[in-house]
Amino acid sequence: MSADTGRARPVVTGLGTFTPLGRGADKLFDALCRGASGLRRPPPGHLLDGTVGAAGIAPEIAAREVLPPSEGRLVDRYVLMAMAAADDAVADAGLTVGRDVDPHRVAVVISSGAGGLTTYEEQTRARAERGPTAVSPYLLPGMLPNMAAARIAIKYGARGWSSAIATACSAGAHAVAEAARLIRYGEADVVICGGAEAPLNPTSALAFAHARALASGWDDPERASRPFDRRRNGFVLAEGAGVLVVERAEHADARGAAGYADLVGWGATTDAYRPTAPRPDGEGAAHSMRGALATAGLTPADVGYVNAHGTATKLGDIAETKAVRAVFGDRSPAVSSTKSMTGHLLGGSGAVEAVVCALALTRGALPPTHNLDEVDPRCDLDHVRGAARRQRVEAVISNSFAFGGHNVSLLLATASTRKKHPATTSEKGSPA
Amino acid sequence: MSAEVEKFVIEALDNMNYDVTGVTAETPLGPSGLDLESLSVAEIAIQVEDTYGVKFDEDEMESVALLTVGGLVKEIVQRASAATATK
Repeated sequence: MSADTGRARPVVTGLGTFTPLGRGADKLFDALCRGASGLRRPPPGHLLDGTVGAAGIAPEIAAREVLPPSEGRLVDRYVLMAMAAADDAVADAGLTVGRDVDPHRVAVVISSGAGGLTTYEEQTRARAERGPTAVSPYLLPGMLPNMAAARIAIKYGARGWSSAIATACSAGAHAVAEAARLIRYGEADVVICGGAEAPLNPTSALAFAHARALASGWDDPERASRPFDRRRNGFVLAEGAGVLVVERAEHADARGAAGYADLVGWGATTDAYRPTAPRPDGEGAAHSMRGALATAGLTPADVGYVNAHGTATKLGDIAETKAVRAVFGDRSPAVSSTKSMTGHLLGGSGAVEAVVCALALTRGALPPTHNLDEVDPRCDLDHVRGAARRQRVEAVISNSFAFGGHNVSLLLATASTRKKHPATTSEKGSPA
Repeated sequence: MSAEVEKFVIEALDNMNYDVTGVTAETPLGPSGLDLESLSVAEIAIQVEDTYGVKFDEDEMESVALLTVGGLVKEIVQRASAATATK
């Protein structure tokens, strides 16, 4: 299914997610297919209590669960969530660096939109209250945006390329696209890639609220995130992480690893328009989807499902609809936005949604858009709504668009590895 | 003063999540003992500076890292009394 000649083919062999719908990719996918919401009102004692009516709050995680005790001081939650997802993805891939792969051939690309702002804010407050000596030397290695990538590399002894791409809400998708490029162009055999964000602090929430980006006025937090719905009025802020192990297909076959999906295409463009608003005609977004099709050597008719960026902002959903129509014409692929249930994980969302796409291919099920009660006529597409759709698809696109105008589309297709993950998980059975 | 400073240093290490069970004055701060990384040495230096008003310069950090817990305590006590004597 690829127009590619002789270049390495990237395949996804491990998945890990840490989201408002719990820890674990299978658990996430099953919840999404049930239409379960991970959104709730921040409880008393939470930093966002009283600031927003709905948020996507991931499970608690202690530093000692993912780091040696002496390395866990002042490590921001975004790093801890990324490490939990990475631990799960690496375990899922059954990969031991050094045994299965040369450490210098293992890359780590883990992005974040903003890094550990909550930890920075705590230290700023400590300095104001207790003076200069309150500022810890641990602050920077605990919160810089590259530190999830760095600490995962340290933990697994990954000594090849490592980086973090800070492109706001496209950061996670950019990391996955970077992984595909590193494999495709022979710079790595294995890439641990993904994104993480921990934005649930009042300063960040207020900044988004004052930018008129957040959903408001919903008594029931589970109703607040309504992509493509007539009554949508913004996104719900969420935290979490998604990590994928992406591997050269021959490498995966040589060690007998099972594939979830091939990562066959990517497109990345820039709106070059406004700092926060998308191009109203969706041209930047359309171009990134076309780019993904071109690198994969596929046509629009090959794509059965689009996991939309679909944050539920007024302008964003309309622009994305125009973009999908521009690329696919009158034959809309099945479309859904899982942000209706996870909320918007900002720099984590692109990676989490790439995981969802890999599982949609594996399981032959497409999760619905929750709360899509009445489709906005300006968002007319083949929406999966009400319930998951049982449909086998061969290729899927995951869109991510960001403040700054960064657009990324990832294209995943049925795994080409000899060994493939089964359509049902042994513990959980059918997802839908 | 030494006993008090030793207690302070061990408490600081405990707060930094180092396992301090069995740590004595003879325990090295370096790889054969607590295995402090450079930031932990810096953190200890800042806390000592804050509490006892003594200073460890940037270029002393490497030699501090080679001390034992007792050696560090001795340095702190000596510098603290020197500082008091010159006042």
